[in-house]
Amino acid sequence: MTGHVSIRLASERVNACVASGSELPRFYTPGEVISGMQDFMRGHGTYAEDDCLKASVAGVMQKVNKLICIRPLKSRYVGEIGDVIVGRVLEVQQRRWKVESNSRLDSVLQLSAVNLPGGELRRRSAEDEQMMRKHLQEGDLISAEVQSVFSDGSLSLHTRSLKYGKLPQGTLIKVFPSLVKRRKNHFHNLPCGISVIIGNNGYIWISPQKHDLMVEGNVDEIQNYDMQPVTRSDRETMARIKNCIAALVASKMMLDDTSIMFAYEESLKYELVKDLLDPEAMLDIAFLTQHRINNIMEE
Amino acid sequence: MAGLLLSPTEKVFILHGVQDDYRSDGRSNIDYRPMELETDVVSHASGSARLRLANTDILVGVKTEIDVPKPDKPDCGKLEFFVDCSANATPEFEGRGGEQLANSISNMMQKAYHSSQAFNLKQLCIFEGKQCWKLYIDILILECGGNLCDAVSLAVKAALFNTRIPFVKAALMDGGNIDLQLSDDPYDSKLLDVGSAPLLVTLCKIGDKCVVDPSAEEENCSVISLIVGLTGDRKYYYPKDADKQQSVESKCTTIGMNGPGSVAPKTLKDAINQGIVAAKSLDEALGQALLKERQQNIGIKKHSYGFLK
Amino acid sequence: MPGPDLLSSQGLRLDGRRPNELRRIRCKLGVFTQPDGSAYLEQGNTKVLAAVYGPHQASKSKSTTEGVVVNCQYSMATFSTGERKNRPRGDRKSQEMSLHLRQALTAAIKTELYPRSQIDIYVEVLQADGGAYCAGVNAASLALIDAGIPLRAYACACSASMAWRNGEPEPLLDVGHVEEAAGGVVLTVASLPNTGSIALLEMSHRLHMDYFKVVLSRAMQGCRDIEIILDKAVRDHLAEGWTKQDVVTI
Repeated sequence: MTGHVSIRLASERVNACVASGSELPRFYTPGEVISGMQDFMRGHGTYAEDDCLKASVAGVMQKVNKLICIRPLKSRYVGEIGDVIVGRVLEVQQRRWKVESNSRLDSVLQLSAVNLPGGELRRRSAEDEQMMRKHLQEGDLISAEVQSVFSDGSLSLHTRSLKYGKLPQGTLIKVFPSLVKRRKNHFHNLPCGISVIIGNNGYIWISPQKHDLMVEGNVDEIQNYDMQPVTRSDRETMARIKNCIAALVASKMMLDDTSIMFAYEESLKYELVKDLLDPEAMLDIAFLTQHRINNIMEE
Repeated sequence: MAGLLLSPTEKVFILHGVQDDYRSDGRSNIDYRPMELETDVVSHASGSARLRLANTDILVGVKTEIDVPKPDKPDCGKLEFFVDCSANATPEFEGRGGEQLANSISNMMQKAYHSSQAFNLKQLCIFEGKQCWKLYIDILILECGGNLCDAVSLAVKAALFNTRIPFVKAALMDGGNIDLQLSDDPYDSKLLDVGSAPLLVTLCKIGDKCVVDPSAEEENCSVISLIVGLTGDRKYYYPKDADKQQSVESKCTTIGMNGPGSVAPKTLKDAINQGIVAAKSLDEALGQALLKERQQNIGIKKHSYGFLK
Repeated sequence: MPGPDLLSSQGLRLDGRRPNELRRIRCKLGVFTQPDGSAYLEQGNTKVLAAVYGPHQASKSKSTTEGVVVNCQYSMATFSTGERKNRPRGDRKSQEMSLHLRQALTAAIKTELYPRSQIDIYVEVLQADGGAYCAGVNAASLALIDAGIPLRAYACACSASMAWRNGEPEPLLDVGHVEEAAGGVVLTVASLPNTGSIALLEMSHRLHMDYFKVVLSRAMQGCRDIEIILDKAVRDHLAEGWTKQDVVTI
């Protein structure tokens, strides 16, 4: 039984660009003057010099009333209050956890910002500090919400809701934060039976849909449930979604539940999920998805 | 590579996937990710190749030098491997951070090419006992996405296939000293016979099964990985001679293990068999790609794509 | 006057260029997926790759509250030069180049925005045919823009040399390897062409003060020309990467 090996030549490389050539917005590059007037407020990506407002990154201008920002194509995650993120615990410190969230400084999750097991509401005691490692260890993935932003830019997270917390079985994909739009809801249960958490920081978590568990269940029982093997059909769907997201990212398309669902539907014509790894298949899916989105936007 | 953390639930997911022969991106345990190959990317070198295997990016340059052969092997040339882990791949490789990994890969390659049945060093001889060619094979690791050894061995074989050794035009004997004149014409050179050059196959043991071409996350889940070096088959690279030679069975030139775990003998045997099958399909695919590229570039000056496009 | 003529009687250089002509520059942003920003640049036959990681949390020893720590490394592949180089980095020349890179790029990055963070910039020279440092600075500029790190302006670098034609000094722009090896003076300038300020100036051999200004202004002109080329490449890259959904204007 031989495996599938494909080696292509550089001359056959496909260009993964699906952007439409028409209607390009005005781009700004570093050092370019945006406006000379001083009554605009400076947002991200701009700086003031010699009485003019200049761009400091290369990107598109976003103007909200008097606030001008330049949004670059790719950058590290800049957190804002209320964002949903998926992060990985790096360190267990003395009353808090250090979480890596693809931003320029590591985020913190305070002990007082997590729900105690069992849902109790009380002041955290010294025992809780010893038990921190039982709750979250190094390497664990969590979904959390940004509670506040410190003055130096680092984020303080909280998981004070049942939908946040440690993530069970599944797989993680890392994309650029600029490909994720700010939406009301970041937890999506796709109709194919898979749930997707699109973190604002560019980490996307794919897992099989969680069937309703009794909250008062035994902690061990819940843990065992987490360790059960995922069914074959769920696994196939998860792999398909993972490859679809990779295809959208390769063509730099925005990610949200509609684009992922469109990509999933377009990919169904490829019976074997591993065929989606070919660059031509990826471009095909991205192109068709962009086409469908364009049609919807025109309506 | 080392710095990647995974949560226990992610590891369990990957483990169950491998048991089920269905990995997280839909591949089975013996499938490779799509690869891209290009030769002749560095013009200063006698031969070069660039291989891109999903996230892993390897650039190989071969330089030739005239040297004195070893006294116990007067009719053989020399091969020297050098691996450099560029900091482009990960900040951990800054300065001397990547040296340990680089040394282990270059040792692996040196062992794999050691046997005369893998690479015939006699083709590098100029004058027996006096002069021979020394090939410096320099490997630059630009990006790490798992499965470095396989990508390195494929890129090295492609670069050697592409290497041109200048013809020796005239040699004046001047009282014992030999003065060689090399031809100036870049096309007046000979190619090397690399059909049987070995390919390394990495097999990662995850749970009870072995997977081929592990991604970085899968490498993190395994306790031990097995690296097998297997000689190639000439018929994929020189199809015109196919009817003249009898088919040669591929031989194992080196076996290495990596990791803190251990392997039962039966699993070891199954893994080696799996590796043999995988190496054969790799060899065939590489041969087809290289011949196709050579076919495309007959007569015309090659348009180099490199990193552009 | 140094040995072989760097300028022929028709006014052409050793590789056929005019005195104020740059070598052909081709570049691409975003060639790798792992680093936050990456770029590839070819200037004639010199090929360099630049990768940028960051800004990310600085290691405790390097962390400072004044601004971001810029960490550079300049490395040459062993097959990059005509004669094989034994060590890619760690020798004196590479360390000196790393410091020069840091000097040039720190002047361009808005460091005060990112206290306690670190930006790593790695330049790998794949093929060196003269002007590898200049190509490295240009590629690093592009990689920084690809990573979305705020810059004051583009940082461009260019080299210039001098030759004689009919007894008059004629500065040469963008020195190639053959001209470097011929033994003339080489002036390397890294500047922010937008503001006209110079971040780094380096010179080898000797040059009479009378001719210094002329050679310097030729190099600065070269930097301005390079900036135009880089700007166009960045705009092309933005046009390719932009898809319809993401412009919000109120």
